[in-house]
Amino acid sequence: MTTLEKLKEILSECKGEDLDITPETSFEELEFDSLDKVDIVMQIEEAYDISLGDNMQLSTVGELIAKIEEAVANK
Amino acid sequence: MQTKLTKLLGIQYPIMQGGMAWIADASLASAVSNAGGLGIISAMNADAEWVREEIRKCRTMTDKPFGVNIMLMSPHVEEVAKMVAEEKVAIVTTGAGNPSRFVKMWKEAGIKILPVVASTALAKMVERAGVDAVIAEGGESGGHVGDLTTMALVPQVVDAVSIPVVAAGGIADGRGMVAAFALGACGVQIGTRFLVANECTVSAEYKKKILAAKDISTMVTGRRLGHPVRAIKTTYTNQYAKLEADSNYPDEQLEAFGVGSLRKAAKDGNTEEGCFLAGQIAGMVKKEQPAAQIVAEIMEQAEKMMEGVQWDV
Repeated sequence: MTTLEKLKEILSECKGEDLDITPETSFEELEFDSLDKVDIVMQIEEAYDISLGDNMQLSTVGELIAKIEEAVANK
Repeated sequence: MQTKLTKLLGIQYPIMQGGMAWIADASLASAVSNAGGLGIISAMNADAEWVREEIRKCRTMTDKPFGVNIMLMSPHVEEVAKMVAEEKVAIVTTGAGNPSRFVKMWKEAGIKILPVVASTALAKMVERAGVDAVIAEGGESGGHVGDLTTMALVPQVVDAVSIPVVAAGGIADGRGMVAAFALGACGVQIGTRFLVANECTVSAEYKKKILAAKDISTMVTGRRLGHPVRAIKTTYTNQYAKLEADSNYPDEQLEAFGVGSLRKAAKDGNTEEGCFLAGQIAGMVKKEQPAAQIVAEIMEQAEKMMEGVQWDV
């Protein structure tokens, strides 16, 4: 499973509907609230056994993928 | 009564007073601490020097531990966070976000840290950052609210973390405290009932609103802007709700409509333009009385209900 596919799974589960996301999708348009974002970060960290930092600003799906892949590479 | 919370904070009873902005000052905090609970000063949006002065004033009024509540969205949060470390405040509670970036500095100053959390993910995140306990606050509470109720949130947070959990939201008396223990919490945080304490310096009109409230007197506004708050229904909240429902009314103006409304309620007693934040238990608050009496009544009722019960709290 690619990072994008895994993210699609996590974000869709959090939203309660199937989301069609691409690396260009912005978090603003996905309209997650602050508790959703905390939940998403925790789920990613648990799935990949990485730490993304505590006050991460999420802008686009592509940026998040880059941060995940960087953290995985530095494990 | 000894619980994990009383041991952690060095207090007599497992009752914390909520850090209510514009309401929880040195006068109320010292009264609650003197009564054996944990009084808390709200740092709200104030600058560090104002908060420092309240801390020092509180120290002249009590020799018991007390805390400071830090609102993480405050424009002064960085300086206030540093100041509480300099002052070596015994306890810090935090609201409106994730305080992880301050944890190291506060631990080095010997401060006990208890963030307010509204979800299990946030509870896990702050536990990992090294905080001492979490306050799981349900949407029955006054002020800023999450969606989950105390009944649903507390046991899920208890299951998600291994640090002590304090229950908040919807608790006004000994029954609420025992219910919190049953859900796995080791203490309670109470705001609205302490708002009418004799020692609380809030406007007389605010206290009147709480005392006159019944079960359905509160409502939540502000969801559209992502900052829902629970308050007593008034001209102000009704107007706000109408503007909020009007999709032609711009967000910026809605935001501006809310500015200063809590101060107007708490300090000026302005019943037209004030926003009187209160929890759903406002209808259970029937008289103004000393903080010590409030604490004593809650404990007496809870201890009676727990006679013969052996719970690990």
